[in-house]
Amino acid sequence: CASEPITKGYILDEKALAEVKPGLEAQKVLQIMGTPSTVSTVGNQTWYYISQMTTERARFLGPSIVDQRVIAINFSKNMKVERVANYGMQDGVVFDFVTRTTPTGGNELSVVRQLMRGAGLSNTP
Amino acid sequence: QSIVVQGNQRVDAATIRSYAQGSSPEQIRQDLLATGLFSSVSVSQRGGQVVVSVKENEVINRVVFQGNKKLKSDQLEAEVQSKARGPFSRAQVDADVQRLRDVYQRSGRGLASVSSRIVPLENGRVDVVFDVVEGEKTGVKQINFSGNEAFSSGRLRDQMTTTESNLLSFLKNSDVYDPDRIASDLELLRRFYLKHGYADFRVVSNDVKFDEAAGGYIVNIVVDEGRKYDVGEVNVESRIPDIDAQTLRSRVKTSAGDTYNAEDVEKSLQAITTEVASKGYAFAQVRPQGAKDPATGKIGIVYVVEEGPRVYIERINIRGNTRTRDNVIRREFDVGEGDAYNKVLMDKAERRLNNLGFFKRVRITNEPGSTPDRVIVNVDVEDQPTGQFSVAGGYSTADGFIAEVSLAETNFLGRGQFVRAAASLGQYSSGVEFSFTEPYFMDRRIAAGFDLFSKQTDNTRYSYYENRTTGGTLRMGLPITEETTALLRYSLYQTDLTIPNTTKRPYNDCWYPIPGFTPTQVIGGYTAGQYPDCVNNGEASIALKQAAGTRMTSLAGFTLNYNTLDNNRNPRNGLFAEWKQDFAGLGGDSQFIRATGEVRYYRELSDDFVGMLKVQGGQMWGNDLLITDQFFLGPSLVRGFAPGGLGPRDASDPRNNALGGTTYFGGSAEVQFPIFGLPRELGMRGAVFADAGTLFGYKGGFNFNAPYDNCPVTNPNVQTTCLSVYDSHQIRSSVGASLLWQSPLGPIRFDYAIPLSKAKYDQTQYFRFSGGTSF
Amino acid sequence: CDTISSFNPFDKSETYKPEIVPEVPAEQLYNDGLGYLAKNDYESASKRFASLDRQYPFSSWAKKALILQTFANYSNRQYDDAIANGKRFLALNPTSPDAAYAAYLVAMSYYNQIPDVSRDQERSEKALVALQEVVQRWPKSEYAEDARFKLNVVRDQLAGREMTIGRYYLQRRNYTAAINRFRNVVSQYQTTNQIEEALSRLTEAYLALGVVQEAETAAAVLGHNFPDSPWYRDTYKLMQSKGLEPRENEGSWISKAFKSVGLG
Repeated sequence: CASEPITKGYILDEKALAEVKPGLEAQKVLQIMGTPSTVSTVGNQTWYYISQMTTERARFLGPSIVDQRVIAINFSKNMKVERVANYGMQDGVVFDFVTRTTPTGGNELSVVRQLMRGAGLSNTP
Repeated sequence: QSIVVQGNQRVDAATIRSYAQGSSPEQIRQDLLATGLFSSVSVSQRGGQVVVSVKENEVINRVVFQGNKKLKSDQLEAEVQSKARGPFSRAQVDADVQRLRDVYQRSGRGLASVSSRIVPLENGRVDVVFDVVEGEKTGVKQINFSGNEAFSSGRLRDQMTTTESNLLSFLKNSDVYDPDRIASDLELLRRFYLKHGYADFRVVSNDVKFDEAAGGYIVNIVVDEGRKYDVGEVNVESRIPDIDAQTLRSRVKTSAGDTYNAEDVEKSLQAITTEVASKGYAFAQVRPQGAKDPATGKIGIVYVVEEGPRVYIERINIRGNTRTRDNVIRREFDVGEGDAYNKVLMDKAERRLNNLGFFKRVRITNEPGSTPDRVIVNVDVEDQPTGQFSVAGGYSTADGFIAEVSLAETNFLGRGQFVRAAASLGQYSSGVEFSFTEPYFMDRRIAAGFDLFSKQTDNTRYSYYENRTTGGTLRMGLPITEETTALLRYSLYQTDLTIPNTTKRPYNDCWYPIPGFTPTQVIGGYTAGQYPDCVNNGEASIALKQAAGTRMTSLAGFTLNYNTLDNNRNPRNGLFAEWKQDFAGLGGDSQFIRATGEVRYYRELSDDFVGMLKVQGGQMWGNDLLITDQFFLGPSLVRGFAPGGLGPRDASDPRNNALGGTTYFGGSAEVQFPIFGLPRELGMRGAVFADAGTLFGYKGGFNFNAPYDNCPVTNPNVQTTCLSVYDSHQIRSSVGASLLWQSPLGPIRFDYAIPLSKAKYDQTQYFRFSGGTSF
Repeated sequence: CDTISSFNPFDKSETYKPEIVPEVPAEQLYNDGLGYLAKNDYESASKRFASLDRQYPFSSWAKKALILQTFANYSNRQYDDAIANGKRFLALNPTSPDAAYAAYLVAMSYYNQIPDVSRDQERSEKALVALQEVVQRWPKSEYAEDARFKLNVVRDQLAGREMTIGRYYLQRRNYTAAINRFRNVVSQYQTTNQIEEALSRLTEAYLALGVVQEAETAAAVLGHNFPDSPWYRDTYKLMQSKGLEPRENEGSWISKAFKSVGLG
């Protein structure tokens, strides 16, 4: 009883993508494709448009990804399209994320304090 | 130029000079007055000098409150501006008096009167005394409706959070007059009417006047219901080229001919939006266009689907959560950062957050993002205390008097976890229980949790044993769709079944004679175990004695339920179906498979007439079952029978103890209606019903190697050790009537049922009462 | 509801008897306050300074008392009062030698109320602004040094919040949201202790998307700047094995379950 797939992230329009050809300025790409989902970490040479298709087999399972596409547009130094790369679901590597986290500070909400403060309005933290 | 200061006693000249730097005399005068220290200031130029003459305000020595009981003095002190040893000013004290009156009115004491007195003292100081007469609590005495034909004032009142003062007002504060709460109640009323077809509904006026005689507020709400609308022609119109409107029709929840229901329209919007989004049009917007035709009473609804702006969510900022953790709020959103912005899904999230009950206020607003096609969503929440301490009391013919104290927290440590601890004490049962639930186990919408319980029940009124059940359950709730949920569970519990054997309750003295009480002389020819009269003073049946002792049960099971009731507490429309399946035997002493099912269907026949049809059944598999594992049924199957009053019985025992059965099924039909003639305000409703059902198939042991093997036996005074079971498949049935009363002390129900057909040893109980309150 | 108090029989009201409260001169109030401060009795000290301020408002004693009252409130964990009084002192005498101390106390009052990262960080943002003011307006004061240190801690906290939300989305495989949150940390909080994990998570997210070149860039930046960090060790192993070898044994399904309920 899976629900129909829903598009998450960037809504890809194949016709618009077809217009992005090498040599196109960045400004034009912006008009056609809209703001990219994210840009490369170092320098601004690559724009990424990331979209996923998810379905929800049962409400408690939550959405699961059935398809994933990443359009990567590399720009030359003078911000003209050099290459358009296309990553699919199969490129994604499946592995477990590290569960360790960097410690952070701040006052934890302790049971006693919660009972005392109710809605947490009094000024003691 | 130098400044001469005159007339100051307490305030030193240097301070006054530091404030007299103004350019013009008028400026200096204003600055000095602004300090609030002086009642009058005059500034004049004399030669090169500026002369400032001041008249200082008297100084307040003490501020005293008299006659206040409910509100403590330090509470009032915080509200007033006049402070001890601060400047005194007549205007300030008058403002304080008004301020105190407002404070009392807001805390539900509109009758309070506040007056002020000034007491001059020798050292030029004054005391400010506020005399308070608090008067009686002035809640909302009456809420009157006029212009409401379709629904009774009582029913409208049920929709409101403000309640009328009654016997219990010293216990509750929902009857305190609070204008904001009345305003939000009016919105609840509007939504109620819109759900029942009154699209033109509006509140004409809502005036509240304070009635001295009644000692409280009278709220008069005049409504104009307008006519009741049915849904006219329903259509879907798609302005997106390659979306075919017809495919969306299946998603529409409003169909022609139904009563117009605003909530169904909203549900349809969400369903169509999700459908259109799944076709890749995440930016589509769905708008309802209603065409109201007062003449025919029809509303045509056209769902217009059009292309919305292509905007993505850049960031979701969650603010104001001083207690609830960020992820507990964020996970209620179906959309995340980077996804297409969709208003309908935002409203769905807002509704979900409100349903959590963790927040006083939830508001989702947008602000433009860093680029034209990005939007930042701000979620402002205000935490509210979610701990509840409640005391509940009640009486029912089945359980006698019972009281329960419970402490619950629905947002434990801001993690959205539910924790509850409760202890109950009653005439025939007492117990403690603790439960914990994590609604998003392993970050999925899985409600995992555990319960620990220990319950002691005394069943000697209908049988001859007491038992204590102690154990725990691990459970996992899995919502499959909006309406169906599956619940997996594993329980491990120990039951100690004891048969009382005292002089007052000699239910086991045939096997264990009580010295000095059970007659021991032997009557002609019978060997031990022949204690005449030990049976007649009430004796547990052989099957019960067999089950006595400590048993460990370890069972796994699941429950599937489907629920479309409009309101779980008192449903008027909808269906509830449940299938429960248990497998006992993973270790433990009892081995059985138990399946029970129940289906209840509610339908509102006409205004306030509610019909209910119910069918239920159950089956157990397993051999040599313990008596306590079998079904013991009574009024829950057919009203008019005592608890455990129907089903297989021990024919050889004078009181014909119930032995329990392994198969039961039954049905019931009931109609609830308001009682005519009685003013609806009393909250009385009647019901008539007809029940039928049967329980049979005893599968316990028949021959027990008791200490004395007397089977079969001819002397009626001696307890036989082999069971003769009366197990009839006859259908028991009854008809009856009930009275339901929403009394000031809580919901009370009287049932009177006359059995039409019963089996030989069945025990009947015509009258049943249950009621109780929690505050 | 006034359930309990309505039964309370001892609840009689005060009857008024005129009584002259002896007048305490300003100087004595000031000295009493100082005495209590010396004995670390901050509660009574702040009461004395409060009554001094009320009885002799705008007097020179009152002005002097204000900074001490701020300190008393702060030490007595009455942070909102400390902030109010501190700001009033700064408004009344911006050029006083104690101004830096007052600003520092205000900053620290916000700082001490910072909740854990999963809850509203409004107080962290306010602490950031207040600490920056101390550092900018009084760079050479004795408090600037500690203010600079606390600034880093507050930035760590704000970066920590971005990381928590980033991990929330990474867990749900919403890579766009996760990547942008981690990029925020890399661009705005590169001097915090979260930067290493941010770069490591970027590698994980891009690898899960299959954009290997971006994963390599992030890993290279991490390796270059933090060669011996445990995060780089994990990232290096991930890039080598392309996710084939498990990088840490976080125990059985049970320990994951306990962790998700917050007990682990």
